[in-house]
Amino acid sequence: MTETVRAIHVGVPEDIEDGEAVVVPAERTGTGDGIAVFHCDGEFYALDDTCTHAEASLADGWIEDGEVECPMHSGRFCLSTGEALCMPATENARTHKVEIGDDGLWLHPGSST
Amino acid sequence: MSAVPDSVCVVGGGLAAVSTAAELRAQGFTGRVTLLSAEEHPPYDRPPLSKDVLLGRITYDEAALRPAQWYTDHDIDLYLGERVVSLDPAGPTVLTERGEQVRAGAVVLATGGVPRRLPAALVRPERTHVLRTLDDARGLRAALAPGTRVLCVGAGLIGAEAAAAAGALGASVTVIDPVGVPLVPLLGEQIATALHGLHHSNGVRTLQGALGQVHEGSDGTLTCTVDTAGGPEKVTADVLLTGIGTDPDPSLAADAGLETDRGVLVDARRATSAPGVYAVGDLAQAHPGTEERPQHGEHWENALKDAGAAAASILGNPVPAQGAPWFWSDRHGVHLEAVGTMSEADHTVVRGDVDSGSFTVFGLRGDRCVAAASLDRPHDIRAARRLVDRAVPVEADALADIVRPLKSLLRRPAAVRSR
Repeated sequence: MTETVRAIHVGVPEDIEDGEAVVVPAERTGTGDGIAVFHCDGEFYALDDTCTHAEASLADGWIEDGEVECPMHSGRFCLSTGEALCMPATENARTHKVEIGDDGLWLHPGSST
Repeated sequence: MSAVPDSVCVVGGGLAAVSTAAELRAQGFTGRVTLLSAEEHPPYDRPPLSKDVLLGRITYDEAALRPAQWYTDHDIDLYLGERVVSLDPAGPTVLTERGEQVRAGAVVLATGGVPRRLPAALVRPERTHVLRTLDDARGLRAALAPGTRVLCVGAGLIGAEAAAAAGALGASVTVIDPVGVPLVPLLGEQIATALHGLHHSNGVRTLQGALGQVHEGSDGTLTCTVDTAGGPEKVTADVLLTGIGTDPDPSLAADAGLETDRGVLVDARRATSAPGVYAVGDLAQAHPGTEERPQHGEHWENALKDAGAAAASILGNPVPAQGAPWFWSDRHGVHLEAVGTMSEADHTVVRGDVDSGSFTVFGLRGDRCVAAASLDRPHDIRAARRLVDRAVPVEADALADIVRPLKSLLRRPAAVRSR
């Protein structure tokens, strides 16, 4: 089965401060969840926004050293692989590809990194 | 230094037990790991029991600590319904009620705590609910319906969470506590007051006093006499719930001749007085003066830290730095978090608007943040944990300045970008 290649323009890199994230809402991603686009140490990453442990937005988490810490119960995820790094998170977060083009940041929902 | 054991037997089935097994594997242990849990349910997480499980928002299965497949994937032999009744420190060897004997290179005791109960002379134990196990939560939930009259004894963390959940389910709830505003030593005056006040604004009645008498009517109704400063007050209840703390039960260890006090005494390595025997979680009590661990650490995160430390000790790895204690609690839709030890602070700083009910109190000692407690400002606590653990000097004004991101106070020189 072929999948339609789809990308969402998220903005320009300057729109997301280092250590911050924005959420692309579920209505736009079409993946069933919002997607958080993170800026950490000059790199951009994207994960499903809802924590795999409980109802919380990872975009509201603490972003540092290539990881995001959930604002609710402090489960941590690797931004590049989505790996759940500590309890209470036990399920990995889904990753999505982010590309930096001449015209800004492009999110590819559903395409893992 | 003794050699790394070829097998480890963990006694218990809660967070500390399962996390010890997980940590052993994460730290590279390839020997046999046996987990003996007295409960028939696969290991589950306790925090949701007084919140989402009680509210019916998540299923019992969803409270599982790990999926069933995880135990297979990590080669962990999990036995349910195996209550350990004796420990022989020589070996060491444990014996279960069903007659199973397990000898292992190391034994980790992780049997947790037991909830305190009201004296049987006051009320028949069958008429009181406690909240510690999945079955407790299931039993309490079954007893609650719109209009059910609930008296909750104890307005600490668990009692307050359960009372709030019961109220949300439509029960008519009264919470009593001998302390007017509970949790002040833990959270500071402002947070504790705002938190306790949430009961009133959410239709849960609070009453300062102690349970004096309970009369059980022929129809099962409980007429409870609460002794208050203004005299005795009668509260009629269908359901009596207690949240008055837990105690470790160190009898297994004590019978085996290990050093015990309220709990099983451990050092910073979580080693007991018996070689090859460790204790973790709510069961463990640190020797007085052990700086690496609170003497009694009965929060969720403490179980994790103990597990990591015990696994490291067993494998001869360095025990990781522990960090300041941290916990969360939820009631009436408000998220509380706290870090550090508020009683160590010599002054406090407020960030956010106290009247709005969403604010953080930082506890400072000199120019160091030693504690913080927060209502619905979880980001502040993420910052506070790092300020405390990294012992970053901070200015009170900067903490209070709502416009200034707390992250800027933590920025290390290397991370400062030149533009």
